[in-house]
Amino acid sequence: MTTDIDGDGGTHPGMHEAPAVRMEAVYKYYGEFTALNEIDLRVERGEKIVICGPSGSGKSTLIRCINHIEKHDQGLIYVNGVELDDQRKNIDAIRRDTGMVFQSFNLFPHMTTLENCILAPMTVNGMAKQEAKDIAMHFLTKVRIPDQASKFPGQLSGGQQQRVAIARALCLQPKIMLFDEPTSALDPEMVKEVLETMKKLAEEGMTMLCVTHEMGFAREVADRIVFMNEGKILEQAAPEDFFNRPTSERAKTFLDQIIR
Amino acid sequence: MTHFSPAACVDYFFNYFLMKGVLVTIGLTAAGVVGGLILGMGIALMRMSSNPVLGGFARFYIWFFRGTPLLIQLVVIYSGLPQLGIKFGVITCALVGLTLNEAAYLAEIVRSGFMAVSAGQREAAWALSLPRWVTFRRITLPQAFRLMIPPLGNSINSLLKATSLASVISVEEIMRRSDMLMQEHFQILEVYAAATAYYLILTSVWDVVQRRLERHFSRSTATRSPRAAARAPSPQVGLEVNA
Repeated sequence: MTTDIDGDGGTHPGMHEAPAVRMEAVYKYYGEFTALNEIDLRVERGEKIVICGPSGSGKSTLIRCINHIEKHDQGLIYVNGVELDDQRKNIDAIRRDTGMVFQSFNLFPHMTTLENCILAPMTVNGMAKQEAKDIAMHFLTKVRIPDQASKFPGQLSGGQQQRVAIARALCLQPKIMLFDEPTSALDPEMVKEVLETMKKLAEEGMTMLCVTHEMGFAREVADRIVFMNEGKILEQAAPEDFFNRPTSERAKTFLDQIIR
Repeated sequence: MTHFSPAACVDYFFNYFLMKGVLVTIGLTAAGVVGGLILGMGIALMRMSSNPVLGGFARFYIWFFRGTPLLIQLVVIYSGLPQLGIKFGVITCALVGLTLNEAAYLAEIVRSGFMAVSAGQREAAWALSLPRWVTFRRITLPQAFRLMIPPLGNSINSLLKATSLASVISVEEIMRRSDMLMQEHFQILEVYAAATAYYLILTSVWDVVQRRLERHFSRSTATRSPRAAARAPSPQVGLEVNA
């Protein structure tokens, strides 16, 4: 099914090059509270977006709507050209193509590192066990903890657990990686090892949407900073422009507090 | 005037008639646990479902069977239901009564076990697009089960002792057989001391089994020891992959 993403009613060379993520007039409510207020966002393939803003601005809600962990109430969301509606097959297709890394890691505590990683390829893609193990070891090596393959999450440090979580998400070979404050629960020493891993991923061309407070990382890696406040996107700019010449008052206040 | 015959007490302890009663007690307990767990899981699922009919029925069931004494339930099933034309054999009555009662308590234990598995686990499963039955069987159930073991063990301990109530509807388990033995020579303290000893043995054995089960299932969620955390991590040559 080809979606006419440009709305111009015709076919053209770029038609199958759908943007990675497209959100149009997206709203999300929790009862009376508007968590997402008319969100319009477009992310191209290979782009690295950092979403930042004060607490409660809706940053996490935004990326959690992309893979339907939260359900948006109004508006349209397209991921790799597939519309995120209520159809099970669309939701599953989108989730297969997006990997998510959580602030609290959410590793399965009763399974080893390796078992955590092979579960999805085997049950979602019907992969054979050995093939899944090979893929898992490839990604565990990539995040530099192949030696922890038979350990349980409880035996690993926070930084190691988060890297396992990244490897686990990569095992389905997603096209987009979503990071929801991946380093917020880590000691400063461990933050570095996780950010290094994310940088490597970025360099290899992965499309990434990252909610984070790590402004150093944002400066280095992001193609675009998306600044949110109270459910609205106030500004979108390249890091250079955002950090040096913020246009909104709220962004200025925010940056003053972050960069001493 | 006091008299107590320790010899008679020991005799009663090794009495075959009483020992067969111990087997009946064990059988009733095992059946009550298995039946109660199966029915209890069903009730728990109904309770957690969004369907108002199922949820309502489950809530009523739990309220009723937790709100009335097991003794009355057994007596009604055995002596009362025949008035409505429903008649079971003695053992069946006991099994039905124990199962229905136990299921109400186990339903709450099962439900709280599932609710205690953190939402983050489900979210991770969703993000990985795991099918729903895989999420249930491989992620939620194993973790819920670990959490259920202590209260479940406690429930089994209670059930072991509650089987003594079946004596009232003349099931020949420990209590009833003790009564029968007592009526032979009226050595009350001796007979019931032996019975007490058997109950203690059964509950103590179960305690040991429960602790073993708890330890076995928590071994895989072991956390680092403080000493291990203090040691600097060193890369290990040669991977043990035993997934």
